[in-house]
Amino acid sequence: MNHLMQIFALVELSITCAVVMTLLLQKTSSQELSLITKVIMILLLGNLFFWPLGLGMELPLVAYVRGVIGDLSIVTMLLLWTSLLSGNKPAPLAYKVSVACIAIVFYPLALGFGMIDPYAWGYGSILFFIAVLLFAVVCGLANWSKGVWMIAIAILAWAAHWHESANLWDYLLDPFLAIWALMAVFGVFYKRRRDKARSGYFFRPG
Amino acid sequence: MSRVIALCFLLLAAVIGFLHIDSRPAWAPFATNTVALAEEELEVPAPSKSKNQIVPSKASIASPISTWLPETNAPSVHAASLIALRDGTIRAFWFAGSREGAADVVINSAVFDSKSFNWSAPTIVMDRVSAEKGLSRYIAKLGNPVPARMADGRLQLFFVTVSIGGWAGSSISSVISDDEGLTWGNPQRLIGSPLINISTLVKSPAIAFSDGRLGLPAYHEWIGRFGEFLRVDAGQVIDKRRMSSGRDAIQPLVFVNDTQDAAAYFRQTRRAGYAKQVPVSETLNAGQSWESDTDLLIANPNSAVAGLRLNSGARILVLNNIEIGRHRLVLMMSDGKSSQWQVIEVVEDDEALPADQRKEFSYPYLISADGNDVHLVYTWDRKKIRHRYFSGAWLKRAQGQLDIPPTNVISQEAK
Repeated sequence: MNHLMQIFALVELSITCAVVMTLLLQKTSSQELSLITKVIMILLLGNLFFWPLGLGMELPLVAYVRGVIGDLSIVTMLLLWTSLLSGNKPAPLAYKVSVACIAIVFYPLALGFGMIDPYAWGYGSILFFIAVLLFAVVCGLANWSKGVWMIAIAILAWAAHWHESANLWDYLLDPFLAIWALMAVFGVFYKRRRDKARSGYFFRPG
Repeated sequence: MSRVIALCFLLLAAVIGFLHIDSRPAWAPFATNTVALAEEELEVPAPSKSKNQIVPSKASIASPISTWLPETNAPSVHAASLIALRDGTIRAFWFAGSREGAADVVINSAVFDSKSFNWSAPTIVMDRVSAEKGLSRYIAKLGNPVPARMADGRLQLFFVTVSIGGWAGSSISSVISDDEGLTWGNPQRLIGSPLINISTLVKSPAIAFSDGRLGLPAYHEWIGRFGEFLRVDAGQVIDKRRMSSGRDAIQPLVFVNDTQDAAAYFRQTRRAGYAKQVPVSETLNAGQSWESDTDLLIANPNSAVAGLRLNSGARILVLNNIEIGRHRLVLMMSDGKSSQWQVIEVVEDDEALPADQRKEFSYPYLISADGNDVHLVYTWDRKKIRHRYFSGAWLKRAQGQLDIPPTNVISQEAK
């Protein structure tokens, strides 16, 4: 079982690495990549990461990536994977703000600031689980079905012990998702401030 | 419509999630299988002046025995630990390599025969490449090994691995052996931190819960330096609780008093100007919550503390009872009824040597094979691991001689 879990984790991360590289290529490309191109790239790059290449390396490339970043949360993985689909809508700002706010409070506490450890709630706190469900319901009510799907899949993966962690937090949030949300929120904040300044708002006569 | 389908799927996930939470084992009391024995055998003569007092004569009690763990030709060795095997022998684990944190560090093991007082040839339990292949991720170096006995009788070895950075980037993994440590299964990762699972280490022995699961005292050593109590079920952490906070205390050592009550003694990591003493935390609900208590008034120079409770009720501590350096290592005892500690043996002392010639005696680890005796291993100048054996009779006599007024003892140790 542990062996299968390791293989699944490596497959997941290989695909994620391939997706990230494809996204980077798309960002730098002047033309929109076709779906076929994206699929071929993910197949090629995913296999490149997954299989041992030799060349003096003891492990496949993905194992080095995993050594550094660990297993990504299911939510991050799904956000990345679905971002390649045509017609993908970006995550709403409210979600990014929520994740950023949670991360700002969560990480300092989880890393030893005080005796309250919210990370421990993820092992089986009913209240925390209800809070996660409510968050997902709010996503649904805000008409962001993708958020509902992602959180539901993360809960199922946690219940099935899909990754090494038995903690629900590790299926919902990781530092990379937190950094992405924080950057997005600061980006929007900065852009709005800049637009306001350019519109001459600050210099209108009273 | 898609929103309705998504919410229905969430409902399904919610039901499965609730069932999963419901199936989780409840937090259990501590296992205290030595308590009955302790009550029974606490017939150690009290420190009185009675002429009829039965104290084993000095002539009939063997002095502590000293051996060295087998050489592996590695220039640097550290972090030895022990576990009693079913046949009465003792298995030791330690890490060895060109230097601490080097890629060539391996976890060695050897078995001590208590009858012939000989160590077997060392074997390699884990090296970096085996660890990274088993864990399916890059591993840069290996660290502290800590063995434990699982409820089903198997041996479990927890050990530290680092993929990036120094010890602050550590994680804990474990391997299980069905044959008393001759062969080991595939390693499994313990997840105990939300930040790419870094900065979780282990040094002190695990304790048992009454439901057969293990409580592993672990610690973080990065942004915060604090203790955590991991509830471990085979190869995974199923719950955890914070034992301290801030940047003051690592490497918790847990003394279980009864099924609910336990105290944790830490290695202090305080800044200059703060008390260099042993920090303490206590729990009254089997480790579900911990509160800081007043320090143990024994000097601690930011070095590991080892300890255990004997069947007689006496407690043993081995530590560097000085504020600076690790050149003095002592064995201390408390009768278990009070919190007074007394040095009963100076294990190593280079105090008389010039500062540049003093050796380091550190990372002590204690076990008892039968509940009465004590096996101690510690790092000797980072070049060797020394083993000391204190017989039950020797310790019983020492316990009988705990007669110095407590106030004097504390004031001596706190200096």
